[in-house]
Amino acid sequence: MDRRQFIREVFLWSAGATLTIPRFNILPEALAAEKPQSLLSVAKGEEYSTLVARVLAPLGGMKQFVRPGDRVVVKPNIGWDRSPEQAATTHPLVVQAIVAQALEAGAKKVLVFDRTCNEQRRCYTNSGIEQAILDLNDPRAVIEHIDPRKFVPVNITKGKSLTKWEIYKEALDCDCYINVPIAKHHGLSRLTLGLKNSMGVIGGSRGSLHHDLGQSLADLATVIKPKLTLIDATRILLRNGPQGGDLKDVSKTDTLIASADPVAADAYATHALFALSPENIDSTVAAYKLGLGEMALDRIQVLTA
Amino acid sequence: MRRPGMLISPSTWRRIGQTLFLLLFLVLFIKTDYAGHDELTWAVNLLFRIDPFLAVSAMLAAKTVLALLLPALLTLGLALVFGRFFCGWICPMGTLIDFSRRLLGPAGVVFEPGQRQWKYYLLFFLLAAACFGLPLAGYLDPFSLLVRGLTFAAHPALDHATTTLFTWTYQQAPEWVNALTEPVYALLKKYLLPFGGKVYALSVFSLLLLLVALGLSRVENRFFCRKVCPLGTLLATFSRFSLFRLAGGSAECGKCRQCRTVCRMGAIDEARSITPAECTLCLDCLTHCPRSRFHYGWRGQASNGPSIDLSRRAVVTSLAAGALAPLALPSRPLTHRAEPTLIRPPGALAEAAFLGCCVRCGECMKVCIGNALQATWLEAGLEGIFTPRLLNRIGYCEYNCTLCGQVCPTGAIRKLHKAEKQATVIGRAYFDKNRCLPYANGVPCIVCEEHCPTPDKAIKFREAQVLNSKGELVSLLQPYVIDTLCIGCGICENRCPLSGKAAVLVTSAGESRHAGLSATDGY
Repeated sequence: MDRRQFIREVFLWSAGATLTIPRFNILPEALAAEKPQSLLSVAKGEEYSTLVARVLAPLGGMKQFVRPGDRVVVKPNIGWDRSPEQAATTHPLVVQAIVAQALEAGAKKVLVFDRTCNEQRRCYTNSGIEQAILDLNDPRAVIEHIDPRKFVPVNITKGKSLTKWEIYKEALDCDCYINVPIAKHHGLSRLTLGLKNSMGVIGGSRGSLHHDLGQSLADLATVIKPKLTLIDATRILLRNGPQGGDLKDVSKTDTLIASADPVAADAYATHALFALSPENIDSTVAAYKLGLGEMALDRIQVLTA
Repeated sequence: MRRPGMLISPSTWRRIGQTLFLLLFLVLFIKTDYAGHDELTWAVNLLFRIDPFLAVSAMLAAKTVLALLLPALLTLGLALVFGRFFCGWICPMGTLIDFSRRLLGPAGVVFEPGQRQWKYYLLFFLLAAACFGLPLAGYLDPFSLLVRGLTFAAHPALDHATTTLFTWTYQQAPEWVNALTEPVYALLKKYLLPFGGKVYALSVFSLLLLLVALGLSRVENRFFCRKVCPLGTLLATFSRFSLFRLAGGSAECGKCRQCRTVCRMGAIDEARSITPAECTLCLDCLTHCPRSRFHYGWRGQASNGPSIDLSRRAVVTSLAAGALAPLALPSRPLTHRAEPTLIRPPGALAEAAFLGCCVRCGECMKVCIGNALQATWLEAGLEGIFTPRLLNRIGYCEYNCTLCGQVCPTGAIRKLHKAEKQATVIGRAYFDKNRCLPYANGVPCIVCEEHCPTPDKAIKFREAQVLNSKGELVSLLQPYVIDTLCIGCGICENRCPLSGKAAVLVTSAGESRHAGLSATDGY
């Protein structure tokens, strides 16, 4: 057999499979070794409306994430019928400032929504977020109630626990998805941060995710990908989360944490705000293992604004 | 036929009036919903509070004066002066009966509406029964029938039809069509349709009852108003003495029976004399009399309307039946043990008083933001049909919401402040450990704990090592209830991720409305 014949036969017997683009299954650890450090920015201050600009500045400002003409989704936590000071929902001023920044960066439309746990209208009203968006008085800034028609089934090909789920179309179709969770206590997952906040863009019976919550959240993170995670820790809920209701459980921390790396944001917040190790949070560990971001605190570069 | 020199006939004026009052009713109906404030500004309870029949019935049942219902006196007073105009001009049920009349085809003209007395016997029975402990008024009151039918079936049907249409355009139509249809849908959702796709127990049954009330007009014009409606009957007893009335025809009119033909209430006799108790002042006789003989005005020396031809025997029988029927009620098992899954809304009076005051208007179920309040069937006895109960698998009682007490027209559900409501126990949760995942299957869950709304959670958890169904020893969190903290809101049962029956269930055990009352059951 000569060389030409060998090649011809290989092509024939492999039915052309050798012509496809080669794929290598690179382990996340290997990738992490080469990756530059995850950047994360922290800012403290009592002026929440300006704090957003401050925390984003070291990362290059909002224009780093939102391009002119972008359709932007801002996803706060509006899950509960609680007031802003009860620390169960994202602070309205923080949400308002983010939307304003996105508009300033040239967004074509900024959509705000959450699939709430308590009754939608009460949550939107009493969290103060609906009014905060309306107060911007800009037709490009829209806050909408969940429209059941917009949930589309999505295959989660990299999912280990979840392989298919209904996800809100707007969260997938947008040019820039900004995740704005509030940092707080949670009975089952210990804390609810950025990854847990994604539960507000999915349909279906969400309770069943609790059966393997950490892995499910990591699986979701393979398809719901925020360009920016901005954790609202202006005040945090230390006990009786995720709803709270008692001001004694709330601690005023006046902090915002921002990162393009969703895992790094959660890992840092876990340690800095609640003095827990990132390993304590199942979703952080599972997402790290899937290569979705950095959880080792010494490999996260913290920029203080 | 139009009277010469009149631009708008009296009948047209009446129709305009009816339309306006119907619109007002519909606006109030739509407004009976959360609107971004904890307090409602307007609600359809306004209508029920001017209903003297429900007022008398509820007060007889409660054996007290219910201040909320005193505006009903106004309706009675106006009937004494102007006659039964309420039925002809204001009552939305009467208006719908009139407006749907054309759909039903012609009814035979019945000059002599015989059997007119039965509605009086019915009224006497209902009032006596209410007084002696069998409250049935809400079953036949026109407003209750109407609001139930609209709330449970018509409004959701409208929502379903609209949503189906616009879902179809949303999914199938090209972009430019959606640019037109979506704003329309948004407007409809905002101003006309219920907020979410609500569901209601007894919806079809309620709709059928409403349709029967409307459809009886096929037999005889305004059949419901002529022969059944207890509110109209009560107003009739007062209108007999009205100071203003329609009059004018006489036996001299000869063979012309135009007025008798058009009279929807059959209130004009052969002598062309109008019975004020039956006349609803629709003014059709005024409009159609070819000689313009009729006029509405001061009755002058005219006597009271003819007394109703009631048999003394029948009156006594109906009153006695009303008084004696309740005696059969204590023989039912529910006297000893109330149905444990019958959970009443927060602020509901103790059961007997609650049943007496509730007028089955369905407003609490209309306004219930969680769609939790549902119509009871026979769980509270025959007299409990259509009363509100919580069905937690359908919806739960929203922790900060106090709307049901605000709209209740009679105070059967008391108006509670938020703090009061949050301290009101309507039941208590318990776990079925044979089904609850962390107990039965060794699977993590505690969705119930996450949703438990009391600031100091009534559902707590403890860490446990259990064998899961694969035989592995796993460490997980198991939930349990602190009885003294649980108020029975039912969000745990509602959100339990098990399909079918939940593993955490609420019963009426420990409800605060019966606290301190000596229990009839138990040791």
